[in-house]
Amino acid sequence: MSGMAFVVGGLMPYAAAALFLAGMVSRFRAWYKTPQPAKMTLFPAAEGGMWKDVLAETFFFPSLFKGDRVLWGFAWFFHATLAFVFVGHVRVFTGLADRAMLALGMSPETIDSLSAGAGGVAGIVLLATGVLLLVRRLGMTRVREISAFSDYFALLLLLAIIVTGDFMRFGGHFELADTRAWAFSLLTFSPEVPPKPMFLLHILFAQLLFMYIPFSKILHFGGIFFTHALIKRR
Amino acid sequence: MSQKETVVKSITALDNGPKVLKLYMEMCAKCGTCATQCPVYYGDESRKYNPPDRSDLIRRIFKKYCTISGKFLGPLVGAGDVDEAELQGWVDRFYSCTGCRRCATYCPFGIDNSVITRKGRAILDQLGLTPATMKKVIEVSLKTGNTDGASVEAFKAAISFLEEEMKDEHGIDIKIPVDVEGAEYLYVPPSGDVLVNPEATTGIAKIFHVLGMGDKWTMSSLYFDGANYGLFTGNDADMKKENQNCVEITKKLKAKYLLMGECGHAYRVMKMMMEPGKWWGDLPFSIINCMEWTADLIHRNKLQFDKSKNTRAVTYHDPCNFARSCGIVEEPRAILKATCMDYRDMYPCGAENWCCGGGAGLSAMDSLHDFRMKVSGTKKVEQIRETGAKYVAAACANCKRQIIQLNEYHKTGWDVGGVHDMLSRSIWIDGKAANRKEYEA
Ligand code: SF4
Ligand code: SF4
Repeated sequence: MSGMAFVVGGLMPYAAAALFLAGMVSRFRAWYKTPQPAKMTLFPAAEGGMWKDVLAETFFFPSLFKGDRVLWGFAWFFHATLAFVFVGHVRVFTGLADRAMLALGMSPETIDSLSAGAGGVAGIVLLATGVLLLVRRLGMTRVREISAFSDYFALLLLLAIIVTGDFMRFGGHFELADTRAWAFSLLTFSPEVPPKPMFLLHILFAQLLFMYIPFSKILHFGGIFFTHALIKRR
Repeated sequence: MSQKETVVKSITALDNGPKVLKLYMEMCAKCGTCATQCPVYYGDESRKYNPPDRSDLIRRIFKKYCTISGKFLGPLVGAGDVDEAELQGWVDRFYSCTGCRRCATYCPFGIDNSVITRKGRAILDQLGLTPATMKKVIEVSLKTGNTDGASVEAFKAAISFLEEEMKDEHGIDIKIPVDVEGAEYLYVPPSGDVLVNPEATTGIAKIFHVLGMGDKWTMSSLYFDGANYGLFTGNDADMKKENQNCVEITKKLKAKYLLMGECGHAYRVMKMMMEPGKWWGDLPFSIINCMEWTADLIHRNKLQFDKSKNTRAVTYHDPCNFARSCGIVEEPRAILKATCMDYRDMYPCGAENWCCGGGAGLSAMDSLHDFRMKVSGTKKVEQIRETGAKYVAAACANCKRQIIQLNEYHKTGWDVGGVHDMLSRSIWIDGKAANRKEYEA
């Protein structure tokens, strides 16, 4: 195993996980602790409906839907597919999902082709919506003029992960067994890293993303609970 | 302290709250949705009116001093330091947001740029840069208890004038009690509803008369204006001082109900800020709004009207502070539908209404007249025009002033007034409505 591969696939995962967890916990704690003296309720706010509204906002973006339907289309499919792909990766890393599906009576071949099909579609949807979001940011004055480098960087990093992921999925660089072995080796603290460049690039970018999240605007995926809870509280 | 130090101190303090501001500093995704929903940006798509661009004046400095990425990466993540030469320019920037909170309604994260605007104004206030008009209004209001600076005598004269008017209209004595200790209700309108467009106040007086409660309410000669410009300049101390006056007077008069008039921000400060924030502990009275009160009476069939007194098409402009910040949407409509023949809604309306363009105190600033007419008020003019209405009811003295000026500037031919104005013209007293000059055009 080359030294570089070991760093990316054998050491960095621990650092990334630690930094991500510590970063997020400290952000959540800070938000939770910070006092809010005045009521900020924004109507319509249903009596007792706060958490229902917060969850609706988290999963379906209704405010954005009312505000900018085109952006809603890009953003919702982008985020929903990201979530879907995240779940898909749980299957890639562990046998848990497989065991559940086997128990439902599917054959291993069906599961593989289902996963390849769904994963492939997701990879394309992500690429398309991600590029659309980037084009939108560059092309619309009102968005471009408020964007800093970090706003492009977040999107470019995601796109790098998506592109390398798509290469693996469509370019035949993907070995389920190897990946699972790698994930398991990490859990047992005896990392065995598959020496595949595309795979290594993919996990490199993904880990950079996780380390970056707590310190960037991408933490909106946790902050959304807090901001909406404040204005939806009656 | 240098200007820079003042600014930095005020912004770094946000790291410890309030929670809204801390979150808003860290969270904006720069998605550009709010711009499409902002009345100011709608009127002029200049960068300086793009809501997050304005908010970034503060956010930039917060990032620089309070975030790890900002400390190390600076401009790459949109962080930057205070530029003292730029501070004077902040006045125009922060006084070109109407505080309408419409951005928050459509932002996927509910980011309320008006809160950041208010913070920006608070910093300007600390630097002594608050526009003179606003400072003046606050001074006058703290001294006289009303934003017009009217004396007790002037107020009493206005009240007897209103009593005479009502005598002309109905041929009987309908009183407006002043400074009566032990009255159940203390009515606090905006001063404009006594001095400029007083029909809302006669409307309230007539309701009490019809209910046989003519002696159960009062106004205060020391506090007949709920307006609170501390909300607009961002100065919390001023805001509380003014508010305290009202609370003290209500306590002194031993009123059970503080009946707030047609003034959106006054009610918001009372109901959404002072009461839940327990600024003065538990209150010996409840805070209600005249529109809820009247709508409830109509609902319970306590009042009757002669709609033929109001035949023209009427529309209602939802003051942002009432609709979005206090949820008062159905009540004014219930009153207008009960008192007018032809009521029409704008689109969109209620909590999604577009601001008149004069919110957050801008309406009172003559220096912003052109901006309000040509930029921030653009959408409102279009919206009202589309309804074809001839009378625009707005439950807010600042909205009224703005819409009256829009009407003059754009020659739209509307009459502008309050909600209870229409009630005053049509309410039945002893079986008939007011008999006075013809309102119909
Ligand atoms: S809509 Fe919200 S997240 Fe988007 S740019 Fe405006 S304030 Fe930022
Ligand atoms: S509060 Fe209103 S005027 Fe101010 S930025 Fe938001 S939408 Fe625009």
